[in-house]
Amino acid sequence: MRDILALILSGGSGERLGVLCAERAVSALPFGGKYRVIDFVLSNCCHSGVQQVGVLAQHAPASLNDHIGAGRAWDLDRRSGGVVILQPYQTRSHAGWYRGTADAIAQNWDWIEQQKPARVLVLSGDHVVRMDYRPLIAAHLESDAAVTVAVTRVPAEEAHRFGMVRVASDGRIQSLDEKPAHTDAALANMGIYLFETGRLADLLQARPVDLVMDVLRPQVASGQRVMAYQFDGYWEDVGTVASYYRASLELLDPSSRLETHDARWPILTRDEERPPVWLGPEAQIEDSLVANGCRIEGRVRRSILFAGVHVGPGAEVNESVIMADTHLAEGARVDHAILDKYVRIGVGARVGESARAPGEAGSGAPEPGAGHEWLAGLALVGKDTWVPDGGRVVRPSVIGVGGRYEDFRDGVLEAGTVVPNRRWFEVLP
Amino acid sequence: MTGRYAFILAGGVGSRLCLLSERRAKPAVPFGGKYRIIDFTLSNCVNSGIFDVGVLTQYRPTSLNQHIGIGRPWDLDRTRGGVQLLQPAPGLATSDWYQGTADAIYQNLLHLKRRRAQEVLILSGDHVYQMDYNVLYAFHRRNHARLTVAVTEVPENEVSQFGILETEANGHVVAFKEKPKTGASGRLASMGVYLFDRDALIRWLVEDAAMSHSSHDFGKDLLPRLVARGEAVYAYRFPGYWQDVGTLDSYYRANLEFVQAKPPLDLSDPEWVLHTQTADRPPVRVAAGAKVTRSLVANGCSVSGEVMNSVLFPGVVVEKGAVVRNSIVMHDTLVAAGAELDRAILDKEVRVGRGAKVGTGDDMTPNRACPEHLSSGLVVVGKQARLPEGLVVGRNARIGAAVVAEDFTAQVPAGGVVDGPESMH
Repeated sequence: MRDILALILSGGSGERLGVLCAERAVSALPFGGKYRVIDFVLSNCCHSGVQQVGVLAQHAPASLNDHIGAGRAWDLDRRSGGVVILQPYQTRSHAGWYRGTADAIAQNWDWIEQQKPARVLVLSGDHVVRMDYRPLIAAHLESDAAVTVAVTRVPAEEAHRFGMVRVASDGRIQSLDEKPAHTDAALANMGIYLFETGRLADLLQARPVDLVMDVLRPQVASGQRVMAYQFDGYWEDVGTVASYYRASLELLDPSSRLETHDARWPILTRDEERPPVWLGPEAQIEDSLVANGCRIEGRVRRSILFAGVHVGPGAEVNESVIMADTHLAEGARVDHAILDKYVRIGVGARVGESARAPGEAGSGAPEPGAGHEWLAGLALVGKDTWVPDGGRVVRPSVIGVGGRYEDFRDGVLEAGTVVPNRRWFEVLP
Repeated sequence: MTGRYAFILAGGVGSRLCLLSERRAKPAVPFGGKYRIIDFTLSNCVNSGIFDVGVLTQYRPTSLNQHIGIGRPWDLDRTRGGVQLLQPAPGLATSDWYQGTADAIYQNLLHLKRRRAQEVLILSGDHVYQMDYNVLYAFHRRNHARLTVAVTEVPENEVSQFGILETEANGHVVAFKEKPKTGASGRLASMGVYLFDRDALIRWLVEDAAMSHSSHDFGKDLLPRLVARGEAVYAYRFPGYWQDVGTLDSYYRANLEFVQAKPPLDLSDPEWVLHTQTADRPPVRVAAGAKVTRSLVANGCSVSGEVMNSVLFPGVVVEKGAVVRNSIVMHDTLVAAGAELDRAILDKEVRVGRGAKVGTGDDMTPNRACPEHLSSGLVVVGKQARLPEGLVVGRNARIGAAVVAEDFTAQVPAGGVVDGPESMH
């Protein structure tokens, strides 16, 4: 594995995740009660023996820098190899943001060449995937491919979100359709490519912008040996609110496809030191994941609580995802919501009330969530928001980073409201 | 804080902790749902800005060596300073097994040679407390002391378990009695935290080493002698929580104090983090239908049954229909469906078979093998023991490490003892 260099593309700005990615890259999005999305790919590298890793980051790179640091958690703090974060940079003769995935790689070609890899493994830092890269590498060598592309089966109704791939019986890719409206292809491109280094260097000569559109498609069209490697394990693109929420709650199923308890393939992350979960005398908790540092005095059902969440006495959490160090005061209630870090829910406040009682017929007026289908019916609450005592947040709705009392009209935030982000110095006490 | 240096005495045998410290040194005994006892002292050092520490081990050092390693969790993996594990070594003129605590330091005086510290802090790795040693240094210097001993008030009936000091109003120590049976006045006990002037320490240790009648122990020999001849020994009265978890009962009680709504120490204080070596484990999984109240449960646990008033270390599995009550359950132990625990302390990697009942009945017969340490109703189960399906274990019972189903010829009555295979040593 010493001759493999992994390049993790972490450029995703997560527009479709709204406030959850206002100040972080998709790769840095918290997932599964204690992880960040990129932990899955970094852990895969660690367990597959890939020891040279470059992370190409552009959007909110500080979130990734903080998390990855020198790569200790993944044993990537190495004298030779290890992990390096590659951000856009200036020199006297050059300045430029990454225009696309291929451009990001081309702009860092000097560094890549210095590592002298025989092959470059391109990965996406925005997907939750538990994958051993060794069989992929073996298949690539065996098939003598120019490029190997990992593909996986997706449900037909989701095909429009992905790049769909048609594969011949010998494994050669015949066509690549980006986000097709209609297709009979069942295999999606996972955004994982293995290139021979020399071949990739040649392909980048033409200054392509996007790896799929400007590199892979022309290769496929001109009949090169672009081979598919089919992967059948867990792979999830959590790039939308709906898919993030669904993938999160799926972890609660006893038969969850994503195995995080496997001691042979632990998901490694930068772990802060927190005491064990404390459950109070009146705690009622079931069907949930709860991380160290949580204090539970109220009720928690079908939810995921990250480190340091406090559920006060009489407070209730239902079918929600609550990120680190968010506090629910006494009697607060959170339902079908995603709460970012450091949120304060006031005494008796309600977040994620449904707009109308179930079964109540519409009156012909537009649905309160109209135009907000991307929210999947949820309430999204940005980092550092304070929901006042007795406040009510009706879903679907979004409170931006740093939400405050002024955002509520008579203590109520109506369905369909989107409160814009505040900068941190605008909400100083 | 450069130039500060601390020795931590971590060789303790901990015989009163019975099975828990049979195969590990007392400072390595798990505590509080994810920590080891020595984490408190090591974290106190780094939180006080002391990043140069020598840990003296002797009794079963393997688990401590593994736990501390190069000191990463405490930021003690440093280019200068850091943590050094100091084990007794044969061969040198001054080297042998450590005779007493003073001898342990005497044999390691070499490590002070190139260190510029004016004072040397000597700590014990056996205690549960949070203390800023800077306060101790300030007290020491203000009083121009040669030796400052940190003290805490202990209950009248426990006086005979500690070194008891008498002081003048300004803290000057006028009397020291080690574990006095009678005649002690006052209840100020030494916490095993000593701040010495470096040069005085060296002089006193060399002097003590030459005395053939001395047992070379700080509490038994050195301190009484220094106080008797009027050296500048001062007592610093520590106002906070301090617990010597040296017996099974005090160990059990102290652990369960941490499941209270107001625990004696705030383990989540971001200004005073309690660091430890942790494996990466997923969040706690609580299944539908489970019930967990008044407990500490660490990452990696999976609970489908009922847990109350208990401490679960990482990786404990409580299956459906199982009940864990008033118990301490260490890493990766499995409590199978329908099993019940009450007032039990289970070491790591134990398997409790389906429907087994551990800690039942009203019979309080003290333990046959160690009646003095196991008589309050606790059941202790050693590491990797396998308890067969349907087994019933009475109170005050002791089940040895690595026992297997064949070691049980019948149910275990109150006070019963089941011994496993002899340990390799």
